[in-house]
Amino acid sequence: MSRSQSSQRSGVMNSASDGQKRRSIIAEDHEWSLALVPLLTTLCLQHIIKHFEEKPILHELQPSFKTYVLQRLPASLPLTITANLISDESYWKRCCEARWGLADISTYDNSWKQMFFERHLQSIIELFIPDTTDTKTVLDVLPLCQNYVKQLRVSQLLPPIKEPSRFDEDDGSESASDMGSDGPSMDHFDFRMLLDKLPNLKELSVVYCVKGCGMNFEWNLFEFTFRDCESLAKALNSCKTLQVFRIHRSKVDDEKCCVIVNHLLDHPSLQELDFSHNHISDRGARAIAKLLNRSQLKTLIVCNNQIRGAGAQALAHALAKNNTLTSLNLRLNRIADEGGQALAQALIKNKTLVNLHLGGNNMTEPAAVALSQALVENCALKSLNLCNNRLGADGGKVLEEGMTHNCTLVECDIRLTDVDQDSEYSICQALHANQIKTKHNHDPSAKV
Amino acid sequence: MHQTEAFAAGEEAEELRPSVESDKKEERILARRLRLAARKEAQTKQRLGEDDLGKEDVKEETRKSQKEVEHRERRMAKLKSDGLELVTNIQVAADARESDRRTELEEGHRLRREKLENEAKSSQEKFEEINRKWTDAKMKQTPLDLRDALSSQQQLCEQIIADKNKLISELQQELKASDDRYVKDLKRQAKDIDLLVERMEEQISTLKKSYREDLHQIENSLDEERRTLLTKHKKKWEHERKDRNEKELKNMMQSLSVMEEYADLLQKLRVQTAEEYNIDKIRMDTEVQKLRMKVQQTKFNCHMNEEKLDYKYEVLKKKEEENAIIKSQLKRKIIRMQDVLNNLKSKLTKQEKQSKAGNQSLSNDYTRISQQYKDMQKKARHFAALDAERLEKLWLMCEDEAKALTHRALETDRVIHEQQLGLEWASPPLPFMERSGAVQQKTFRTATQAAADTLKGEPEGGLDEDTAAGLNKRTVKSILELLCDEMGFLVESKLLMLLSPLEKNEQSLIKLDAIFSAIGIESEKDVYKMAEFFMNYRQHESKYTKDETANGQGESAEELSNLIHTEDLLAALKDFTAQFCRQDVHASHKSSILGLDMRDDSEDAAYWESIANVMPESKLKLWDALDTALNKYHAVLTERTELLMETQNIQQQNSELRQLLHLYTTSKAQ
Repeated sequence: MSRSQSSQRSGVMNSASDGQKRRSIIAEDHEWSLALVPLLTTLCLQHIIKHFEEKPILHELQPSFKTYVLQRLPASLPLTITANLISDESYWKRCCEARWGLADISTYDNSWKQMFFERHLQSIIELFIPDTTDTKTVLDVLPLCQNYVKQLRVSQLLPPIKEPSRFDEDDGSESASDMGSDGPSMDHFDFRMLLDKLPNLKELSVVYCVKGCGMNFEWNLFEFTFRDCESLAKALNSCKTLQVFRIHRSKVDDEKCCVIVNHLLDHPSLQELDFSHNHISDRGARAIAKLLNRSQLKTLIVCNNQIRGAGAQALAHALAKNNTLTSLNLRLNRIADEGGQALAQALIKNKTLVNLHLGGNNMTEPAAVALSQALVENCALKSLNLCNNRLGADGGKVLEEGMTHNCTLVECDIRLTDVDQDSEYSICQALHANQIKTKHNHDPSAKV
Repeated sequence: MHQTEAFAAGEEAEELRPSVESDKKEERILARRLRLAARKEAQTKQRLGEDDLGKEDVKEETRKSQKEVEHRERRMAKLKSDGLELVTNIQVAADARESDRRTELEEGHRLRREKLENEAKSSQEKFEEINRKWTDAKMKQTPLDLRDALSSQQQLCEQIIADKNKLISELQQELKASDDRYVKDLKRQAKDIDLLVERMEEQISTLKKSYREDLHQIENSLDEERRTLLTKHKKKWEHERKDRNEKELKNMMQSLSVMEEYADLLQKLRVQTAEEYNIDKIRMDTEVQKLRMKVQQTKFNCHMNEEKLDYKYEVLKKKEEENAIIKSQLKRKIIRMQDVLNNLKSKLTKQEKQSKAGNQSLSNDYTRISQQYKDMQKKARHFAALDAERLEKLWLMCEDEAKALTHRALETDRVIHEQQLGLEWASPPLPFMERSGAVQQKTFRTATQAAADTLKGEPEGGLDEDTAAGLNKRTVKSILELLCDEMGFLVESKLLMLLSPLEKNEQSLIKLDAIFSAIGIESEKDVYKMAEFFMNYRQHESKYTKDETANGQGESAEELSNLIHTEDLLAALKDFTAQFCRQDVHASHKSSILGLDMRDDSEDAAYWESIANVMPESKLKLWDALDTALNKYHAVLTERTELLMETQNIQQQNSELRQLLHLYTTSKAQ
């Protein structure tokens, strides 16, 4: 720097027709030329970069200088300065790469800034330990990132640290955690302070568990207390922009499900609800069925729960009247024949449902009969999954018959259902015919 | 329960991206298909836009590529669905296992519960027995019994405990088994996941490969298509270029030829213009020279003129001086003249006085002289009669003399002819020989007489036929009547009064006389002239009356009156008087004033002439010629006599000279 400054100065002197000095400098350094001398503008820009933290000057610069500065700004600048000042994607790309290495931007609306803030907020929440971490850490970040966060995928929530004695006690009681009465100390991060401050939030995924606990496994690390549930439900209610809500592997039982669903009733924008891998049974299913017709839900996923026939009947009742839901996933439940029959009857009336997943539901021939009838009547369903149900050869034949009258179904999964090869083949043929038909229907529209 | 969850969660996590749920896959395929279709459409559109001519071919070819694409697409869809099935098979199997496990678990639960219930029942029974035994034991008084009872109780309790322990151990064993199973499941799931990952990777690789292949194939097909198109277009392009080249060449040749033509033309024009220019130049030069000469001449003229002018100026100056002098002289003269004028005026007055006096005397003289004149007239008449007598006498005497002379001339002529010329003589006609005395006096009839004749009718014809050849008597009569009707204002009113008792014919005659005297017509000729003039005038004035004049000669007077309009008559008369009468008036007046001698001398001269010319001109010429010839003859005769005289002289001289010569020659020879 000093060298360049000196040469700069000498250059300036040169222009001031100080020939002798110039000659002496050339004699000293053969490699020096005027091209090596950095321009004053670059020096200024370098100075701006160096002192960006104290005095952020960016928008006052000309476009070319602006890009120059943005290319050279260090990624370690505090967010308080950069968050609302810099919108350049390349800078945030550098930030993301510096922090997390490789990343797939496509899941973040192709916006590096969004990705940065979402992951930043995510990590803060994931590392938040109630009662020990100051809530200010979250609240400080919020004003910076509230405009850019659209999705929040929390993959773990840490429980508060507690005394070993309690820890031992809890270790012993297995079912006590279900009650959620372990006291306030077991509550996780409270979403209420977060959700109503994020105006653009559209997607929220929550998992009430601890990742990578390894040998420190304790049952109470995987707790979803009732108070957590209430706070989460209220937070959800306060966030009116939310479109997608997912809660996986969080031991949501009927009671908590009811609480959450009650708070989600008449939500203005919610479109997708995902209760996968929880403990919801008939009562919770009934609550969800109530929600179905009091919301804009398009997708409902309750796979791997414990819904039985009664819950399925309740869902079917709701489905018969519903006209928004397009996708229903009941994989790995125990709805059995009664639930299957009820859903099949609901399908006769329903005109909107496109995807239905009933895999692994312990259904048998009567359900197949009912479904084949539904297939004859229904003209909206396009994908049906019946794998892992013991439909049997007769059920397969019935389905085959039903498929011959259907012209909309494009996919039908009947693996591991003990169906005959022949009927499977014929069903496949019918599906193929339907596929070609839909393709032909689509192509002209696509061309138009 | 938890392990399944964990497995499911893992599976889900694995499943999330590559093997999407069936509907999503469908959507993906659909989206891809749409994209492809759109691209294809765009391509075809572009090609269509590029050239409309090769539309058909392009369509065909695109159909080929489209087929290829569709084929590939179908294959990929199948491959994908197959792979998806392959991958999801694991999930399905795991699901199946899970559901089996669940049913088993349920069954185990049920059995366990039953067992537990049974056990609980039996233990209850046993417990009740024990309880019962407690009361028995209380009944026991003896310690031995009590001990027995207690021991039995203890045994029972131990039994229960043993049962319980057994149960516990059984349960623990089950627990252990389920733990083992959990571990096994975990292992299997781990294996499954490995398998899944493996399959997925395999799938990904195969898909990648096939995609690449497909891409390659499609690219190849498109390339081929493009190549064919390119070659076709190139060919076309070449062809067109060649065409263009040829056309350009042709055009160039044409333009070259045209250029040459134009160059020739230009050359010609240039030469022509150069010639013209030269001619013009020469002409101009000559003109310039001429003009220069003219200039020189004009300069010279100018100089001359200047000098002349100077000279003239000088002369004029001198003249002016002279003029001034003359002016002064003239002034002086004028003054003098004035004086003379005054003198003359005074003289004039004197003269006037004198002339007045003279006049008086002259008038006196006049009266005296008129008296004398009358006397003289009387005397003149007297002398006239005498003269006439004398003339008669003289005439006769002269006539005799003339006749004698002619006789003599004729006689001489006859002599000349007969003697000199030897011709036969014929006497010329001599009409005047029979006549003797003065020429008869032919008297002219006056206008009034003629008018009276005409008015009287047509008793005597023939006499006037020759004088008024073109005019019929009747027309003249009608004109005269018209005149006397219309021209009444020329006649004096007194006369009219006097005439009223008279006969109509006489009346009109007198009127006519008055009118004629007023107009100035005297002789019959004049009357006919007037009538003729009127006719002509009428013809002049109005052409439409021409035919009527032609046939109006033998027609009635009413028609003739129509020929001359009464209004025109006055104007015609005026013109007539203006034209004819004036000069005659003076002449006739003179003659009337002289009046006394009506004799005409004109025929006298002719008479005498005829006598004088009894010898015709030719005869006189003959005489002249004869005279000259005779004279010449006389001259020749006289010359002859002289020449005879001369020859006598010369012959004499010649003889003398011959003598001399003879002398000289003889002398000389000596």
